[in-house]
Amino acid sequence: MSDQTIGLSDVVIGKPASRRTGNTLLKCAYGATFIIVVAMVTIPIAALIYGSFRTAAPGMPAEWTLRNYEGLASPGVIATIGTTLWIGLLSSALCIVIGTAIALLVHRTDFKYGKVVTMLVGLAFYFPSFILAMAWIIIGAPGGIFNAVVDDMLGLSWLRIDIYTTMGIVLVMVLHQVPFVYLTMRGPIMGMDGIYEEAARTAGATPSRVITRITLPLLSYSLISSFILTFIITIEQFAIPALIGIPGQVNMLATQLYLLVRFSPTDYGLAAAIGVALSAMTGAAIWAQRRVSSAGRLTTVTGKASRLKPIPLGRWKWLAYILCFGFGFLALILPMTILIYTSVLKWFTANPFDGLYTIRNYAYIIESASTIRSFWNTLLVSGVGAAAGVLLGLMCAYFTLRLQPRGYRILDFFVSLPFGVPGIVLGLGLLWAYAYLPLPLYGTLALMIIAFVTRFLPYATETIGGQMVQIDKSLEEAAWVNGATPLEGVSKILLPLVRPSVQGAYFLLFMAFFREISSAILLYTASTAVVSISIWSFFEQANWGLASALSVVATLIIFVAMGLISRLVPAARQG
Amino acid sequence: MSITVENLVKRYGAMTVVHGISFEVGRGEFVSLLGPSGCGKTTTLRCIAGLEDAAGGIIRIGDRIVSAPDQDILIPPHERQVGMVFQSYAIWPHMTVGENVGFPLSIRKVSAADVAKQVDEALGIVGLGPFKDRHPSQLSGGQQQRVALARAIVGRPKVLLFDEPLSNLDAKLREGTRVEIKRLQRKLDVAAVYVTHDQEEALSMSDRVIVMDGGRIEQAGTPKELYRSPVNRFVADFVGRASFIDVVRVEGGAGWRTPSGALIDVDDSSFNGAGTYQAMLRPEGIDIMEDANAGKPGRSLPGTISDSHYLGAYTEYVVDAGGAKVKVHSKRDFDVGSPVMLRFSPENCRLVSSPAGTGK
Ligand SMILES: Nc1ncnc2c1ncn2[C@@H]1O[C@H](COP(=O)(O)OP(=O)(O)OP(=O)(O)O)[C@@H](O)[C@H]1O
Ligand SMILES: [Mg+2]
Repeated sequence: MSDQTIGLSDVVIGKPASRRTGNTLLKCAYGATFIIVVAMVTIPIAALIYGSFRTAAPGMPAEWTLRNYEGLASPGVIATIGTTLWIGLLSSALCIVIGTAIALLVHRTDFKYGKVVTMLVGLAFYFPSFILAMAWIIIGAPGGIFNAVVDDMLGLSWLRIDIYTTMGIVLVMVLHQVPFVYLTMRGPIMGMDGIYEEAARTAGATPSRVITRITLPLLSYSLISSFILTFIITIEQFAIPALIGIPGQVNMLATQLYLLVRFSPTDYGLAAAIGVALSAMTGAAIWAQRRVSSAGRLTTVTGKASRLKPIPLGRWKWLAYILCFGFGFLALILPMTILIYTSVLKWFTANPFDGLYTIRNYAYIIESASTIRSFWNTLLVSGVGAAAGVLLGLMCAYFTLRLQPRGYRILDFFVSLPFGVPGIVLGLGLLWAYAYLPLPLYGTLALMIIAFVTRFLPYATETIGGQMVQIDKSLEEAAWVNGATPLEGVSKILLPLVRPSVQGAYFLLFMAFFREISSAILLYTASTAVVSISIWSFFEQANWGLASALSVVATLIIFVAMGLISRLVPAARQG
Repeated sequence: MSITVENLVKRYGAMTVVHGISFEVGRGEFVSLLGPSGCGKTTTLRCIAGLEDAAGGIIRIGDRIVSAPDQDILIPPHERQVGMVFQSYAIWPHMTVGENVGFPLSIRKVSAADVAKQVDEALGIVGLGPFKDRHPSQLSGGQQQRVALARAIVGRPKVLLFDEPLSNLDAKLREGTRVEIKRLQRKLDVAAVYVTHDQEEALSMSDRVIVMDGGRIEQAGTPKELYRSPVNRFVADFVGRASFIDVVRVEGGAGWRTPSGALIDVDDSSFNGAGTYQAMLRPEGIDIMEDANAGKPGRSLPGTISDSHYLGAYTEYVVDAGGAKVKVHSKRDFDVGSPVMLRFSPENCRLVSSPAGTGK
């Protein structure tokens, strides 16, 4: 009895002191997170808006003006906006149809090779857009492989294609973004309680009517949400429209911005205004998406294991094979094959029997100091940058979802803002900002890391936050009741429990940074080039062989890293 | 229409969960499948509906074979014309009440006017007429249940299937809905199969009850048959409350003896020679006498009250007698520890076979 009393008074004496130190630490962390996030997000955006009202390039003497916004109404820019919307809507619609069809085939029918298809789609998801676009240019350019085969070898000149067109862009966009739709639709499809479909079957509906009357309507909110997200990543996509559209003079807003900054006559002010306009479009789309997904959540996910019998495909089996494996072939296998083929050719030829083979491209990669440096730069940016991004994301998730100190809503708002800012626009904003800020960041890898972390902070926060909200608050409270300080509650209970999502977020950011090009393209200098930029430059110099060899190496690194990580930390795959 | 199930077998991978069961449900008959969790009730029902492919046996609805895997016949669910009520109702959340109920008709291309008429009628029957344009999320659990019922009957199904439709309702509502389901089934005059693990529900609603265990039928019969003449200890124990006393046959077949040596009169019409047996006593078929000497030989057992549970209308006493714990219901008051005499008539003391080893 007396022992207990002593124990109790111990706690009473011990508690306030430790709680105070814990609180101070947390307060400092909150303050630091708040300042870093707000600065990181506002500086480029403010600079961009500032730039859009100036008459000259960053750092030059200039005056205030509205001229740049008038420029938005010029026929050229209006046409670009039209093209952007058209490509965005068309590609997203096609992606939704194909991606959802694949997801339904894999998860709702007796389709046999679901695992293979899931793997192909997963690999395609991590296949960098600029590498895919390059491969398709080698295939589909007027002097490319496809035309050489159908026209020069088979004499079927009416079959000639030209990738440098709007439809060419749409084709590659779709191939690149179908995996995204598949991945966003897979969860809702798998999580849906099968009982709704069974009820329809016993009520007299055939399997195909069940899909159209029950399954798809129940998925409608997920479909709309996925459609809008696909639209956003399509209109902010930079590499595909740049590589394919610029030679064919098909401009989207992102490429027009790039042209205005990179090629004379440059017009940084108009570029900034275009950046603002593009961000407004993506911002509006994100707002719509949030509305849809919060308004229309039908409770179809009961968490009850469903025993749903797979729908027999019967004679539609072949169509399913064609769709799934056709996609895998066009989005992954064919481009990879073409890149490997091109990388070992001395001079480009469409006929493999005419080719002179060499490994000089690979030898060059190993010997060239600048290429090796770009690899080190990439590893550094991806490795260190992802760690920084995850740490910041973890802080943001903890403060906005758990601790919720004063002003956490403001933090939440700033964290989600970069979702609406396309990569190239962010790059331009930073370009404007660091021309004025007295920080020696321009031309450093640090600037590259800042750009990448800013751009992908929302992804890190959402990944970690998604798991954090599922962890019952009482688990932490139980630790407090048993004598743990808030800080100990975090380190001993919360952190171990969210570890899988932290690993997942690291994996996600590492992969994203490794492939990122749109926010780097305006920021790099010779000494800070990353692999994606090196590939890009080789390709721009029409050195297809070297670009292909480097792409093959980069892709292999990505796939090997993916395989390793998902084997070592299975939970990371959730990310 | 009737349902005939012959030698139904269902496997999941290498595991057989239904071992060749057979039963018949006549037109207008209400049959319950009763059994402990995991015994294969739902699986059997889903095989009848076509939601699950049987591995063997034949299922007929009316004259039509709907499932005969040996002959490569597996009619899909939408061609079987069944009405089914699911445990969690499965009301489609993206449709109004009216659209939910009208679905079985509109999917069969009934004209819109007819759909509207029949939906009104069906909703009227379950008392949900004014709720036609509501969304499912705006309904209570009991109302959702009645929507599911209306949807199951609207297409004039040949048979009605229920999978524990009342298990999500509270006790009061459950009783009312039992009556309603029964009434609807009578009115439609169709065969009904009702899955439940609630014995009271099964006894009160059914024309016949099929007791299952481990994927096999233990006994099928009217509620009274099951209660009064269970064929084995499992059925006796699962249907109603019962106590069991080990008995062995006296040499020459002149009666049955308890482990303590007392001879008792047992209704041994179910005796068939081999196996181990127990005497089953229902708690309401026993009288408790205070006078420990008041028993008639063969129809009584002396014992001691070891426990009592007051249940309002009566008290359940647990009495140590005949080497077993015997449950007795009585309105009278006794003290724990007092010696008593248990009295019963032979018709309330039935011989049941008990698998060796479980006897107690
Ligand atoms: N999809 C499945 N795969 C493997 N085994 C299954 C599957 N569905 C059911 N089973 C098994 O089949 C057996 C019978 O299941 P069933 O659902 O028919 O039981 P039940 O009698 O309805 O039980 P309950 O009263 O709990 O609903 C169980 O042992 C169950 O584990
Ligand atoms: Mg069941």
